[in-house]
Amino acid sequence: MKIIVAIKQVPERDARIRIDASGKWIDLQDVEFAMNESDAYALEEALQLKEAHGGEVVVLSAGPERAGKTIREALAKGADRAIHIQSSDETELAKFDALGVARLLAAAVKDEQADLILAGLQSDDLGLGQTGVILAELLGLPHATLILKIEKTETGVKVLRELEDGWFQHLELPTPAVLTIQSGNSKLRYATLMGIKKAKTKEVKVVSVADLAASAQSQTPVVTLDAVKLPHKQRTTQILGGTPAEAAAALVEKLQFEVRAI
Amino acid sequence: MSSVLVFLETKNNEVSRISWEALAAGHVLAHGLSLPLDIAVVASPSNPILQKVQGKAPRKVYVIDDALLHAYTSDGYTAASAQLIDQIKPVSVVFPHTYQVRDFAPRLATRFNQVLISDVTGIEVSGNSATFIRQLLQGKLNADYHHAGDGISFLSIQAGAFRADEPQAGETTIEPFQPKLEASQIRVQPGEPFRASAQTVDLNSASILVSVGRGIKEEANLPIVQELAAALGAELAASRPICDAGWLPMERQVGSSGQTVAPKVYLAVGISGAIQHLVGMKGSQCIVAINKDENAPIFEVADYGIVGDLFEVVPALTAAVRKAKG
Amino acid sequence: MHFVNAVPSALGFLFAGPLVPADPGRFSLVEKLTLAVLIFTSAGLFWKRFGVVLDKILKSRKDPGFHLGNIGKRIWDFFWEVLCQAKVIRERPLPGLAHAFVFWSFLAFALVTLNHIATGLGIGFLNSTGIFGQIYFWFAALFAIACAISIAGLFIRRFVVRPIWLAREGHELSWESGVIAGLIFALMATYLASFFVADTGPATRILWWTHTLSLLVFLPLVPHTKHLHLILSPFTIFFSRGAFSDIPPLSGDEDFGLVTGKDLTQLVSLQAYSCVECGRCTEHCPANNTGKILNPKEIILGIRGYLNEYGPTAEELLLGKYNSQEAAFQCTTCGACEFQCPVGIEHVPIIVGLRRGATNTGEWDNEYGSKLFNAMERNSNALGLSALERDKFIQKQELPIFDGTQEYCLWLGCMGGYDPKGREIIASFVEVMRYLGTSYGVLRKEKCTGDPARRLGNDLVFQQLAESNLETMQTQKVKKIVSICPHCVRTIQTDWKEFGAPPEIEHHSEFLARHQAQLPHNKTDEKIVYHDPCYLGRYRNIYDEPRSVIASAGTLVEPERTRERSFCCGAGGGLAFLGEESGQRVSSVRAQELVATGATTIGAACPFCNTMFRDALANGENSPRLLDIAQIAAMQLPQPAAKPQA
Repeated sequence: MKIIVAIKQVPERDARIRIDASGKWIDLQDVEFAMNESDAYALEEALQLKEAHGGEVVVLSAGPERAGKTIREALAKGADRAIHIQSSDETELAKFDALGVARLLAAAVKDEQADLILAGLQSDDLGLGQTGVILAELLGLPHATLILKIEKTETGVKVLRELEDGWFQHLELPTPAVLTIQSGNSKLRYATLMGIKKAKTKEVKVVSVADLAASAQSQTPVVTLDAVKLPHKQRTTQILGGTPAEAAAALVEKLQFEVRAI
Repeated sequence: MSSVLVFLETKNNEVSRISWEALAAGHVLAHGLSLPLDIAVVASPSNPILQKVQGKAPRKVYVIDDALLHAYTSDGYTAASAQLIDQIKPVSVVFPHTYQVRDFAPRLATRFNQVLISDVTGIEVSGNSATFIRQLLQGKLNADYHHAGDGISFLSIQAGAFRADEPQAGETTIEPFQPKLEASQIRVQPGEPFRASAQTVDLNSASILVSVGRGIKEEANLPIVQELAAALGAELAASRPICDAGWLPMERQVGSSGQTVAPKVYLAVGISGAIQHLVGMKGSQCIVAINKDENAPIFEVADYGIVGDLFEVVPALTAAVRKAKG
Repeated sequence: MHFVNAVPSALGFLFAGPLVPADPGRFSLVEKLTLAVLIFTSAGLFWKRFGVVLDKILKSRKDPGFHLGNIGKRIWDFFWEVLCQAKVIRERPLPGLAHAFVFWSFLAFALVTLNHIATGLGIGFLNSTGIFGQIYFWFAALFAIACAISIAGLFIRRFVVRPIWLAREGHELSWESGVIAGLIFALMATYLASFFVADTGPATRILWWTHTLSLLVFLPLVPHTKHLHLILSPFTIFFSRGAFSDIPPLSGDEDFGLVTGKDLTQLVSLQAYSCVECGRCTEHCPANNTGKILNPKEIILGIRGYLNEYGPTAEELLLGKYNSQEAAFQCTTCGACEFQCPVGIEHVPIIVGLRRGATNTGEWDNEYGSKLFNAMERNSNALGLSALERDKFIQKQELPIFDGTQEYCLWLGCMGGYDPKGREIIASFVEVMRYLGTSYGVLRKEKCTGDPARRLGNDLVFQQLAESNLETMQTQKVKKIVSICPHCVRTIQTDWKEFGAPPEIEHHSEFLARHQAQLPHNKTDEKIVYHDPCYLGRYRNIYDEPRSVIASAGTLVEPERTRERSFCCGAGGGLAFLGEESGQRVSSVRAQELVATGATTIGAACPFCNTMFRDALANGENSPRLLDIAQIAAMQLPQPAAKPQA
């Protein structure tokens, strides 16, 4: 099976949040980056499919030069080669909306003839959760989201999809198809020393955003991110102090007479 | 024909609460832009829920009905919705941010060369333009988004961000809409939804929920919280790690991958308040947090908080509740 | 014959001065030729096997980073451990002494044996009439008596008492040992008997040939049995890696640790062939003593088995037929095995090497391990917690940030920064430093030292962490570090050297001991039992400093297994992060041992030991208090009337 995995390098979860000078993003100084969490699960799913059925796993990522580190990590874990859509600086990609980015991704893989394209459910930074689905529509492929498990069948794939409230569903779809993967479904393998050393010899095709934008039929963005702000507390919290017994008694009083719940 | 079009979602033959909240958001937008509001829902025209929908004062309710839509598929819903939108040409399309919407709405938006502004937590309209507020970096940042150009804007509304409206009076017409669909368009074959376990627990019917998180440390400590729930006559709920570990069944999970609840009282015991959990209970009327870390994010949304060791506070609370109830 | 005179002669032996062994007289040409043929045969058979072993050792790859430094220590170790048999005797006194006598007899008999063979060839050189010869033969006879008694005793121990440590999996008894014991006994008996027979008599001849045959049968048996240690162990001890648990660097792009035979190095092969199967390593292994399958002896013998079957250039996995991955990953790297070994085998680098081979190649597929490595990569700490938690702790404790001007950098480590108990230890130690007016600061950003990754064989994660930390320390101009965690101390001081030059670092027990005179003491009668952490005791040789802190507060009590023989708490080797263990919990066993001393306080000097015992003691009523030495020291400081709000 030929599987393309779209991954994104995002600021690490513990990054200190300070708004930068432009007011449109966070200050990236001293911020470390990591592979987006659900993308890591998508990669794991792809590698497991390759181990079971043979084939090739190609990693696809759009980002500045620093994204190369995350791409190499994916190669170290077992992906065979990579395509890096490299932006010239930190702001170039911010000028594209989700549709624009998806168009770049579609243009980069249009000749690949993959059986499956996997993406994480959503990114840890912007959290739009759409890139995979948009990609499916642009490529004219069927898709499914919130996938936990993928099985290869005669005609395509059978997948396990998460629904709300503890419900699940199986779906069958033909390949080629696009699937967005939910976190937490399997245990992630770790990058090994041997993997990193082998990764040095694996192909990373670098194509610039500018070069790709022409063939990607980019248009002006329809959705723009214009400002970021730190959230403020929405309600005032009353902290009930004292010994556990005292606090408990105070709380019961509130529940009885103010909330009227008991 | 400009309008704001709100898509409702039904669950168990009820309109889901998050849909009512999306409707409320739609009203904010429609009111701000001085536009009428229409509703679209996939249902059969004889479905009794349509009575309820009427009372929420939309101008029109488009009832989309087709055999190929009886089971949800992204291909079916995208095609049918696109046809309706082509016909009525709204200014803005509003969805509740559900798993189902996340599955097809981006596809739908792309068909119109648009981008879904997803998981919106606030709408501010000034003049003719609207600012849509979303959260970034897992709730650590708020962002202002705008829709550019003349095309249709697509939004999905986060659960609990808007308060579901009380019924309003108003003239409503029900208009059936028959999409043109072919079986060959539907490429995905969905199976029957199933639950992981046989038990059915309905967290939504409880007025008090006692929810336990990682602070409980071990499965063996659960009785402490169960006793409190029993004393309060409450249902027991949990954050994701507790259910992942198998200490409580999945259907007790509250959060972005579990249930969304809005009880009268939500008691978060040993829960730090990560965004994935907050999303599931933010709409609760009264939130109480018990956590030994005074900086835990849960305190940001709590009405009452006790900073202390839950192994001491919870038993004390159980005793106090029993005493108050007599 | 003269046996009638033998008894009074024997007694006379003791009182009347030295007798000499009977002179066998002249040997015929036939006898000489026979002897020559037998010698050649024996030597040939010896070499047939020994040559193969030597070849396997020499064909193994060279040890990266090994150099023959510190010759003085090597010579001392050779003298003390080989010649004086110090470790042999000290760690198992009675059998050890017996073995020592057997060994010393071998040395004492050197000239006797040479002379014996030479006599057979007609060129005997020890003159039994001369005073040198007389004294020497008498001297050798004393050793022969000691040796005969010793070897008989050891035979009884092995075949009648049957201590389990001598057994091998699947073989309870070692018949080869019986044969060798018999031969040694025969050698001694024939020598002693020759004192009581007449010169040139037939009895003498028989004794002579018996002795000779015993020798010539013994010789080729040596390389086929564990008695190979007779030849190899002096070299093994001399060619030690040079430091305790010394993990070698990886060399080049193709080196991932001990994956296949090709990766075995000369030291590893030499050590594998030196094993005497005494089982002292296994006897002290905390894993083996709590029902795990790990058996350090079998790890080494497994490598020997691999070398015997496949050789040092083979491509079969080392963790395969002869050694199991499961066993290799049950090791806490406590080092008790390596410490006990009388022939200089260094178990820990070998086990870590096997782990490297599995982890660096992705062969080790373990849920907890993967989680640990991913946590260390993503969050830079072994617990997978957000770095913001550590920041909050620093703010709460009002710890000064290190800015290059302070004397010490206080290293929090993962436990000190994130674990509630570890944080208490830091808070106490900070109290002491504040009392002393020590200038210190904590780094704004700390990454895990990489200890769990290092011991579990993940060199990728370890290198990333070590290099990143070394860079931080350089930019922040850190000169001296003090840490509450022996694992951090070890990793920073020793393991980081592979990637740069780490700053000086000491453990807080060393700091506290040095400042004992300046600190107030409130000594009570309370019994405080001290548990030696593996990474502070055996690894760093720090035993007395923590004891001085404890002795200033109460009555120091020792557990049964103490100091160099301290029994691990079970957390080391990355095992604290690997989930539930099979068999009994190592920490429970050790906790019980500490409680059994009757002490009301357990004194610890490592946050891991502290955490492990806390869980083990949690279920007992009337459990002793568990305190780190920093807390013990802080308790004796004058308590302020109003503590600043934390």
